[in-house]
Amino acid sequence: MTIASETVSLEFKETLAIEAKGLTKKFGNFIAVDHIDLEIKTGENFGLLGPNGAGKTTTIRMITGVIKPTEGIVRVFGIDVMRHRKRVLRLIGYMPQRFSLYEDLTVEENLRLYGRLQGLSGNLLEERISNSLDRFYLREFRSRLAGKLSGGTKQRLALAVALVHNPKLLILDEPTAGVDPPLRRMFWEHFRELNKEGKTILVTTHYMDEAENCDRLALMNRGKIIAMGTPKEIKRKAMGGDLIELSVDGEIVPENLPGVISVHEISDERIVLVVDDASLRLPDIVKAVESSGGKVRMAAPVHVSLEEAFIKFMGE
Amino acid sequence: MIGEGIRKGLRILPIVDKEVRQLLRDPKTILMVLLMPITVTILFGYGYGGKGAGEFPITVVDLDGRDGSFKFIQELKNSRMFRIKAIYKSKGEGFASVYSGKVYASLVIPKSFTEDLILGRPTRVELYYDASNPNTAQLVMQAVGVVTQKYQEWAAEKFGTFAIRPMFYTVYGPHVSKVENFTPTLMALILQMVPTSLISVSICRERERGTFEQFIMTPVTVIDVIFGKLAAYFIATISDAVLSLFTAMLLFDIKLRGSFLNMFIVSTVFLINSLSMGLLISVFSRNQLQAYQASVFIFIPAMLFSGMLIPVDILSREAQIIAALIPMYYFMTAFRNVALKGWDLWMVTDQLVKMNIFTAVFLLLSMRFLRMEVT
Ligand SMILES: Nc1ncnc2c1ncn2[C@@H]1O[C@H](COP(=O)(O)OP(=O)(O)OP(=O)(O)O)[C@@H](O)[C@H]1O
Ligand SMILES: [Mg+2]
Repeated sequence: MTIASETVSLEFKETLAIEAKGLTKKFGNFIAVDHIDLEIKTGENFGLLGPNGAGKTTTIRMITGVIKPTEGIVRVFGIDVMRHRKRVLRLIGYMPQRFSLYEDLTVEENLRLYGRLQGLSGNLLEERISNSLDRFYLREFRSRLAGKLSGGTKQRLALAVALVHNPKLLILDEPTAGVDPPLRRMFWEHFRELNKEGKTILVTTHYMDEAENCDRLALMNRGKIIAMGTPKEIKRKAMGGDLIELSVDGEIVPENLPGVISVHEISDERIVLVVDDASLRLPDIVKAVESSGGKVRMAAPVHVSLEEAFIKFMGE
Repeated sequence: MIGEGIRKGLRILPIVDKEVRQLLRDPKTILMVLLMPITVTILFGYGYGGKGAGEFPITVVDLDGRDGSFKFIQELKNSRMFRIKAIYKSKGEGFASVYSGKVYASLVIPKSFTEDLILGRPTRVELYYDASNPNTAQLVMQAVGVVTQKYQEWAAEKFGTFAIRPMFYTVYGPHVSKVENFTPTLMALILQMVPTSLISVSICRERERGTFEQFIMTPVTVIDVIFGKLAAYFIATISDAVLSLFTAMLLFDIKLRGSFLNMFIVSTVFLINSLSMGLLISVFSRNQLQAYQASVFIFIPAMLFSGMLIPVDILSREAQIIAALIPMYYFMTAFRNVALKGWDLWMVTDQLVKMNIFTAVFLLLSMRFLRMEVT
């Protein structure tokens, strides 16, 4: 009977890979994660951003169930992590922030150990090990102790181990920390491929250029989620809308132009406007200026970097 | 159900495999497992009077003062086993030299020694020895026996006498125990110290190094962890039991009466007990240092109340109650009976069962309190 009811809840939440409600973690009096809600859809590449100590790792650890939440619930593919952790484990591949493999075992031994612990054996196990060695360029290091690897190779091994049992959900805590740019690119190409295979990814990073690649982002600060959405939405929220840069001959009243929310910056040379939607409003604004007798020398949407948005949010 | 069981069984094997590999790669293991038993055994052997202890300082009381006694003293010197510190003319001086601790023993050659030899009468030498150092005393006695034997051969040729009897007298202390009596202590020491301290860091080291965080992302259970580690450390430390027994037997000529198999089984039961205790320490320790300290600390009451230093029979009632709570006490008793008295295993069932009960309790507590979480 319990099986039937669980099937129902599974179907109901099928599209959600991760669902957290009121998730809270206190260390003594200190609240590391403060009642956060999170919904990550299957197949999404979801980025968790935030300054040091924001509570990203703590959140992730509660999702993987390696620490117990003080309050709230987490479900992974509809399964309660606290109550049925064992069933959840087969679905998750986890790469902790700190290198957590056995430094006194070789690359291959680590892969084999985790393959076996995940229940693989025989040909399938050998095949997976061999594939991992090739896929992450680890074959030449196969007999080297993990502790003797360079930082980037360690991260490659950690990713290989996280994927060894072919999980549906990948949770990666700063996978590219200490990794050089070419390898970072390789990692993100991998993530894109994995997304294409239908895998869901939850990733944290301090690199904003990486975060641009995510489908959706959540911005954390002091244990709370302060913004969530696509990179575009996040930027819009930070600035209060899209930015348009104008250079005009003649007098205009910027506030009266269509779609303008506020004036971001004004000087003799140029005006930067905040509008609700840049691509939609740009032609209207040009038309409005010209119909009021002015001449548009230049009009273009301003690119806002995620970094600017990030800093804007932190400043508030 | 059966499939699930097999899969469970299969998850313990990779853990055992991993632990054994790590243990073999850790120089500390080799040091502890191989060197420690040999070193401790040798130290004990020499400290408590092994073969190679060199010359024993003794004094001689020559009440005879004629050819016969001169020849005997000469023979003592020739044996290279004794260093004669002084030759006295009265027993009182001889006693004093032993009482004061200056020498291990004083050998008294009686007044009529030469005369007895010439007349073909049975005669004797008397050895007054310090029993507070029982193993040395034992060796002095043996050595005197050898010298007497040699002298006897010489005397027999010359005077036709066959009977010089060495007489042994204790100067203080109870009846002497034999060298072999230290084997149980030695075994208890090695079979507790090495396994407990080795395994006591095993879980907290994983926490400290962060490897636990990845490890618990696999479907391993507390049973897998506890029994996987137990099995691996058992494989790594079982050589301790064999090694210590062999070292004792080979180096110090210790002749144990019990069958090797019986001694080995008793040792194994205690070894598993020590490992379980170490695991429990590991479950409760926050870091490796704490775990080491705990495994050393736990050794103190064990040493005091297990009969290692003082026989449990002569302890106070309260102390005897404490002894009953110390697994090492049962090991000491069982091993002594099996090794020295040659008892069969069934005769020490009581001790074996009690050790195993402690083992079970340690393991159950470990499983109960092992948190599959990071802290
Ligand atoms: N086990 C713990 N005990 C006490 N405080 C903790 C513990 N773990 C984390 N914290 C605290 O909780 C806060 C959030 O930490 P967390 O590691 O989740 O941050 P983070 O966002 O991952 O930071 P970073 O980007 O530096 O990795 C920090 O202030 C940290 O000191
Ligand atoms: Mg972190």
